[in-house]
Amino acid sequence: MKYLSKCNVCFTFGKKYNTFVMEKSYLLPHQFKKTGWVLLVLGLALGIAMRFFGIDSDYFGRIPFLGIVTENFLTSNKHFFEVAENGFLDELVAVLIILGGVLVGFCKTKIEDEFILQMRLSSLVWSVYVNYGILFLAVLFVFDMPFFDVMVLNMFTVLLFFIARFHVLLHRANRM
Amino acid sequence: MKNTIKVQRAIKDITQAQLATIIGVSRQTISAIEKNKYVPSTVLALKLARYFEAPVESVFELTEED
Repeated sequence: MKYLSKCNVCFTFGKKYNTFVMEKSYLLPHQFKKTGWVLLVLGLALGIAMRFFGIDSDYFGRIPFLGIVTENFLTSNKHFFEVAENGFLDELVAVLIILGGVLVGFCKTKIEDEFILQMRLSSLVWSVYVNYGILFLAVLFVFDMPFFDVMVLNMFTVLLFFIARFHVLLHRANRM
Repeated sequence: MKNTIKVQRAIKDITQAQLATIIGVSRQTISAIEKNKYVPSTVLALKLARYFEAPVESVFELTEED
């Protein structure tokens, strides 16, 4: 079976259960998944608090950021490489959801084998369809500020739909 | 494609989880293959057949639809 360990395009069973190793599975080690959940749940909780309980981005104070591009609201002048103070809660929420979501979505399961990789792939396709289906409808039927809200949510939904779908499939497979 | 893994497993008297550990896959994969919900790769099919000490054609068999 040794010659199979150099398969470039096929799936992996992980080094621990070494059968044939996919050299580019682009997946992260299993051990970071728990950290991912903590970050994701924290990010979602803070994000929901901001959205539905009127907590604004200055709630935890303001800190200086280096803005590569910023724009003055009133004059529409663009400023480049300018340090400015900014309430950091919204940045924190986005960073937590992105890091947490990527870790939860793309850390290997304990035994990441070909069947699980197939469920992963189908969940990813499913979530891209659903995400862009919703965006497609929103482009046609939602305007102005509500559309801006859709765009903000859409930054995260493809990841969140993927995570939800993948874990539903894993759960179903577990019960088989 | 249908398969005789459940029968072969009974002959060897091992559980899905034990077979999964021996082969190096998750228990869900063995279960999905037994329920015909997943068609394994050639490598996995060969490994299963090797473990059951049977030719791969006696473990996996094509059906009308294939």
